[in-house]
Amino acid sequence: MLANAPRLMLVGRRLVQFVPVIVLATFVVFGLLKLVPGDLAATLAGEYATEERIAQIRESYGLNDPFLVQYGRWLWNAMQLDLSRSFQSNEPVLEQIMHRFPTTMLLVVGALLVSLVVGVPLGILAATNAGSRLDVAVTSLSSFGVALPNFWLAMILVATFSLSWGWFPATGAVRFGTDPAGAIWHAVLPSIALAAGGIAEVVRQLRSALIEILSSQYVRTLYAKGLSPSAILWKHGLKNVAVTLLTVIGLLASRLLGGAVVIEAVFAIPGMGSMVVRAAIVKDFPVVQGVVFTMVILVIAINLVIDLLYTIVDPRVALK
Amino acid sequence: MNAPIKLPSGRIDRRTFLALTGAAAMAGGEAKAQKRGGTLRLSAQSNPSSLDPQTGNSGSDHVILYPLYDSLVEWDYTTLQAKPGLAEKWAYPDPSTLVLTIRDGITFHDGTKLDGAAVRYNLMRAMSHERSNIKSDLGTVAEITASGQTVTLKLKQPDSALPLILSDRAGMMSSPKAMEEHGRDYDRRAVGTGAMKLVSWADNERVVMVKNDSYWKKDRPLQDGMVFQIIPELPTGLRSVTAGQNDLVYYLVPQQKQLIDRARTLGSAVGPSLLCVHAYINYGRAPLDNVKVRQALNWAVDREEFNKATHGGIAETTSTILPKAHWACATEFSSHFSYDPDRARKLLAEAGHPNGLDILGVGYAEQLQVQQQEVLMEQMKRAGFRLRWERYTGPPTPAAFFAEKKGDILLAPWTGRPDPSLTYQLVFGVGSYFNAGRGEGAPGLTEALLATRASDDLAVRKEAFRKLQKIVTDNALHLPLLFRPELTAYSAKVKGYKPNLLGKPKFEDVWLEG
Repeated sequence: MLANAPRLMLVGRRLVQFVPVIVLATFVVFGLLKLVPGDLAATLAGEYATEERIAQIRESYGLNDPFLVQYGRWLWNAMQLDLSRSFQSNEPVLEQIMHRFPTTMLLVVGALLVSLVVGVPLGILAATNAGSRLDVAVTSLSSFGVALPNFWLAMILVATFSLSWGWFPATGAVRFGTDPAGAIWHAVLPSIALAAGGIAEVVRQLRSALIEILSSQYVRTLYAKGLSPSAILWKHGLKNVAVTLLTVIGLLASRLLGGAVVIEAVFAIPGMGSMVVRAAIVKDFPVVQGVVFTMVILVIAINLVIDLLYTIVDPRVALK
Repeated sequence: MNAPIKLPSGRIDRRTFLALTGAAAMAGGEAKAQKRGGTLRLSAQSNPSSLDPQTGNSGSDHVILYPLYDSLVEWDYTTLQAKPGLAEKWAYPDPSTLVLTIRDGITFHDGTKLDGAAVRYNLMRAMSHERSNIKSDLGTVAEITASGQTVTLKLKQPDSALPLILSDRAGMMSSPKAMEEHGRDYDRRAVGTGAMKLVSWADNERVVMVKNDSYWKKDRPLQDGMVFQIIPELPTGLRSVTAGQNDLVYYLVPQQKQLIDRARTLGSAVGPSLLCVHAYINYGRAPLDNVKVRQALNWAVDREEFNKATHGGIAETTSTILPKAHWACATEFSSHFSYDPDRARKLLAEAGHPNGLDILGVGYAEQLQVQQQEVLMEQMKRAGFRLRWERYTGPPTPAAFFAEKKGDILLAPWTGRPDPSLTYQLVFGVGSYFNAGRGEGAPGLTEALLATRASDDLAVRKEAFRKLQKIVTDNALHLPLLFRPELTAYSAKVKGYKPNLLGKPKFEDVWLEG
């Protein structure tokens, strides 16, 4: 069912788009890093460096080569899944990413789940009671959620649930593969903090889409045919907002990946976000490029999955 | 149970420090109360640059290196005077020869023996390896020979600073076998003779250690293991201790003292440190090649207000590069410069800048650093300096000033070295990396520097340091501001922690209660 021609064409189109997106994103980041002031070789040489040592480092890392040569070399290696080694630790970048990827993903998936579990019922509640005090309360809360800085919420959560009550850990992370229960326990507060904006997003989008559907002519016809409000909502209303919900999930997943950077810093979580921040500070190009490369692939993959899900929820999409 | 040592809120002077470390020593010295076992969990702000003492390049590495490596010489916590380490004794049979006698029966973590040959291998590598960052530490060594447990260093010139230099990176001994075996990878291996053996190092995440069962020091280590959790954000590090996920966090900033005091479950220790917050000056070029401009810069700063505004008033303000508690400090210069904007203006006019002067400072972009920069900018304005800052993040900051030669001054801390001559050599010495101009800042400086290393008599050395400091102060070769106290916070179960004058925490006397 999944492998029909329109869907294959959709996947093919996405894969063709993948190449320029990846080249453009990594090229821009590479260029921006080059624009950041400071000599990488002098930084790597450290506090005791002699001029000779700095020159030696510049030579051995190929920093004397023209910009395009440096970028081209990185891209060629990346295409062969060789993301080079960190300038700072000399560790293979791919290994570092694989080591940290599950931690960040647990955080993102957790935040996505919290956003949906809280956001969907609230969105339905607001839409089915549109104009009521409940609706005003929910929409006001969601506006608050959008405006709330997640690092601030994170600190409030830590102060309350970790420092005062001791229910959850204040910092750190446990690998899911080592201790699944411990990993989830550590991810609860960071996920909630990260999800604040997501909940608001889901509530607002779902509410407006559902209100539009519930006020459409075919729903009026359904009422006229004698269907109960709950049957209309569950059988017809929610089915028709599925595309909107998928779009929100797709956008949210990409946004949460970016938002994880701040949350990882507040909770001292050794994930990809904290890794890329530290690498950017010390101009560790291979690590920054590697993370950007991974993130771009991830975002493209998420979009591809969402597009495929569109075609299942609404087969007309693939034909378009 | 010992109550956490609560400290006065004022600044720390020598007497207070001795009293505090004495109290801490009493807490730590109750041999009967000391307990063994448990894993000490620490929040460390920085990922190590390397676990090879010779190739690392960050002053914050030491705290993580100390449990893994013993050094040939150790130092006293309160005075920083040299005392035996892996070398049970040393002597200068003549001023240009240093003979070390290495303790017998010590093995590296890989089981190989520590003998004279191993020490020679380490020292030769430190002097010649292409990635060694400590070549200049051993710059006076001409030749090294070893026989049994004896190592002889022939020197190019008399150098009494060597014993304390050997208490730092240069004296940390690694297994020659491990270094040969792992090559560049030794950066991440660490095979020393220390109380702890390396288990793993997950980059920017944690360093895990387990106790060395065949450790040579009696009754040590007190812990079964140590884990350094790398938490770059200090507030997060402090929260991890408050929440009980870590036992101790070090290198906190003075602004966090109030938070610690409010958290009733935490103890804290404040000790003076050699960490000097100052501005390096590039006196190799105009306008700061003019001594009057440099002096004006020093008279243009209100150190007391700077202390209050940026360090909660608990730091020791200074006009020198050594704190008053240090044996080599010439205290008559400690308060040499006071705030006198009129005098600064006059000096500026005499230097040919009657309408004031533009100065470009290089500084870190971190919040607390920016606060310090802004205070200086405001204070100096009154003396006619139009100071503006070019900011960088992290390690590129010093590199921009020292390697790329950007800016006239750099506001950054100097972390200090066990032997004061090394501090002066590195900061002001001709050709030193930290001397941005690379030249001699004042006539007679090189000679005065050499004189501080010519005798191993402490009184003679102290007098030599007085003369050297006079040259540095008279010529205003830097802009010293204050010494940042070393602030550590720990949970109630941590006992026996003592700060030290170097300001780089050691945990050999720490044990865990309960």
